[in-house]
Amino acid sequence: MSESQNPEISAVKAHDISRVFEMPAGPVHALRRVSVTVRPGDYVSVVGPSGCGKSTLLHLLGCIDVPTTGSVLVNGIDVSTLSDAERSALRLRHIGFVFQRFFLLPMLTASENVELPQAEAGVARAERRARTRELLEYVGLADRASHRPAELSGGEMQRVAIARALANGPTLLLADEPTGELDQSTGAQIASLFDRLNADGTALVIVTHDPDVAARARRTLRMRDGEIVEESA
Amino acid sequence: MIGRAIAFAWLRVRREPGRLALGVIGVTAIGALLFDMLLLSNGLLVSFRERLDRSGFDVRAVASESAVIAGPPIEDASRKLAALRGEPSIAAVQRVRLGSADIAGTPPGRHVTVAGVDLAAPVPWTILEGGMASSNIPEPLIINRNLSRVLHLTIGSPVVLNGRCGSGSRPLPVDATVAAIAEFENDASDALTAASSSSLVGALCGERADEADMLLIQSNPARGGPNAAAAAVRTRLPGLHALTNDQIVDRFSRVEFSYFRQLSSVLTAVTLFFGLLLIAVLLTVSVNQQLGEIAALRALGFSRARVMAGVLCESALLIGIGGIAAIPVGGLLSLWLDAILRSLPGIPADARFFVFTTHAVLVHAALLGAGAVLAAVYPMRLVAALPIATTLRREVVS
Amino acid sequence: MAAILIVCIATVTPFAASTARAQAALPEILVSRQLFEREHLRVGQTVELARTETGKGAARFRVAGVYEPTPDPMRFAQERLEVRLHLGDAAVLLPADGSSPRSLTSINAALRRSADATGFSSDVERRLPGISARSTSAPDERTSTFTVLDRFHLAIAVVTIVGSGAFLLALMVMLVDERRETVATLRLIGLTRRRLVAQILVEGALIAAAGAAFGLLFAVAAEPAFNRFFQWRYDTALVFVRVTPAIAARCVLMAIPVGLAASGIAGWTILRRRSLLRVAR
Repeated sequence: MSESQNPEISAVKAHDISRVFEMPAGPVHALRRVSVTVRPGDYVSVVGPSGCGKSTLLHLLGCIDVPTTGSVLVNGIDVSTLSDAERSALRLRHIGFVFQRFFLLPMLTASENVELPQAEAGVARAERRARTRELLEYVGLADRASHRPAELSGGEMQRVAIARALANGPTLLLADEPTGELDQSTGAQIASLFDRLNADGTALVIVTHDPDVAARARRTLRMRDGEIVEESA
Repeated sequence: MIGRAIAFAWLRVRREPGRLALGVIGVTAIGALLFDMLLLSNGLLVSFRERLDRSGFDVRAVASESAVIAGPPIEDASRKLAALRGEPSIAAVQRVRLGSADIAGTPPGRHVTVAGVDLAAPVPWTILEGGMASSNIPEPLIINRNLSRVLHLTIGSPVVLNGRCGSGSRPLPVDATVAAIAEFENDASDALTAASSSSLVGALCGERADEADMLLIQSNPARGGPNAAAAAVRTRLPGLHALTNDQIVDRFSRVEFSYFRQLSSVLTAVTLFFGLLLIAVLLTVSVNQQLGEIAALRALGFSRARVMAGVLCESALLIGIGGIAAIPVGGLLSLWLDAILRSLPGIPADARFFVFTTHAVLVHAALLGAGAVLAAVYPMRLVAALPIATTLRREVVS
Repeated sequence: MAAILIVCIATVTPFAASTARAQAALPEILVSRQLFEREHLRVGQTVELARTETGKGAARFRVAGVYEPTPDPMRFAQERLEVRLHLGDAAVLLPADGSSPRSLTSINAALRRSADATGFSSDVERRLPGISARSTSAPDERTSTFTVLDRFHLAIAVVTIVGSGAFLLALMVMLVDERRETVATLRLIGLTRRRLVAQILVEGALIAAAGAAFGLLFAVAAEPAFNRFFQWRYDTALVFVRVTPAIAARCVLMAIPVGLAASGIAGWTILRRRSLLRVAR
């Protein structure tokens, strides 16, 4: 059994992390001594009012930011000991991101957007084309592979973004308000896609304002003023 | 990583043809100007050197170091000529005495420059029509095409030369006959030039002095070439200043041609700076418009070096395509600029200001290569310092 | 005695005069600053001038002073190794080619009214056949040289304008592209296409005018440094760069149409129907 599949080892573990932003008006405590453990196959939603630190927590779990105090372990590795390049490599292979605004590259087609992280990881062309086809079928967009983002609807763009996040087979997928820009029906479709993903073994952490999306998770963390005030299963 | 960055940058620019076209047009125009300035910086010298070499003489001796031709005359020229002819490093020597004359029919305000030489020695012109060997004319005159055309002179035409010797003197007219039409070294495109014996040129102003303005020397390649010949002149005739073609070219590059060299240097620097600034602004605006996408790519695992390489490759592609296109465009542009500059008065007809050289292409490539890197420095710094989390947050809020 | 100044080709040799009295009796010459510095001469020193390299027919003179040669754009790259001497003294050095010692190459006349120069020249030529007289401001070879150089510089400016115009257009397209949503919103609330194009054109003209003004200020500020560098480089008092009102006007008149064209094209790209529909989606 590989390290990443070992249930004893968390997909990501944050221990006593704080994040303080130095602002001209004074320091802002975005997170205060928060500890979270996400195990392989977990499905966690994070909810709370705007500005309570949800996205900051997600960024720290995804290694795109570093805590002011405390530590983050991904697959048992303390992220603070890694260089920027090593953290990039870790994200590339182990962590997927889905954003509220999709951030697809507008000049690339859907399939090229999905191929991009694989090319970066050095996957051979034939292999990545096959994987891209498989992923676009998985998200239901096989027929839109050659379309550019401007030619897709919001829901379709988000599905391409999910396929891109899954491109290198991450063990952990982090989504920041993935349905924030979508209508209720399309949001529900995306949430169903997440359910399917989790059922297939990917650990998920979703930051959301949508109670329906949050309710689909097995665990919900409620945050306020930079702290986790409630955890419900 | 570089290969992936290049492939991705190529895909990006290819998918945005409008922006690519505008960027490339800009780089092409600036690059063409840069290329032309590189051609100009050396062109006149290359052209001048070719013309000097074509004359067949590789050392020139004059009486003063202050000017190659317009200095004081060389006295007792026949004796000095004889002394040099005995030097083993010297294959042949020619004397040149320059005078000015009017010929009946010369357009007002224009005079004929007459070069007096030793007609038995190798001469600094190329015969186009007629010749010296077959003529038994007592005072043969060799004229250039302009003179032939303007005065309708042909081989055998009689000519009366009135020497221009100052307003106080009235020398007797000198009779001569056109023996040949030739192309003269350093002739301006509209120059009226003739040549004959030294004695005829001396007679133009009734002078009997044995003087020359310059000695032209052909070195003996088997005995040390031009440097040995110049050294021999300096040893034999310490009062003369002997210059090899290399030294003349060097001197001209420092003095007579320095305006164009300076101009080309200044314009090269300005053009390069201007091009860099524009590409840097273009890339910076482009990067600023894609901060969200770049932050997302970083979040997905693209390393800092990778996104920096992407910007660098985009800069290199833009400048590379424009730089390659700039060479033929610059070549065409140089024809236009050359035609403008060649209308300068007194410029030899076959002189070229812009001469294509491999060296210019290599310097052009090196400057643009360095330019691509320098132009990318600031936008690369922007993406390198991009805070991923903050940018994503800001992009979502905005 | 009228101090007629002659510039002639000669060789100069510093000479040690035997006595102060003999030195004082020598004719005086003025030496160009460049020759003075190069030969390490000093005022009051005796020099020999000869027209040949052998020194034959040399005459002795006393250096009475140093002068800065009149800047000559045709000869600025050449070292000005010159002396000026009284006309009578110059006769001693005249070439032995049959020229009369009483002949002159030229006579310069300063008129009371420079506006009379053309009439005066015609009058001289009519009264003294064989003498060519012309106003110093009349076109000659120098004029044609600078006309050619002016054309050359203008050609370079045109190419630069083409290049910078393309860059400006690219930048305007990108900057206007950033405002696509704003433009779409303005169209949706009822602003006409013409109204928006006018606004973009005004912005482009203002940017171009500001750029031209900045460019002119930069040129004016850089002018002394540029001149000083080339004056040092060529050891001359010649002024190489001067921003004149005509040049400033030409610069502004070239820049503003380029700015207008770039913003007009950029405006057109954003106001196309398809482009707005895409935003609306």
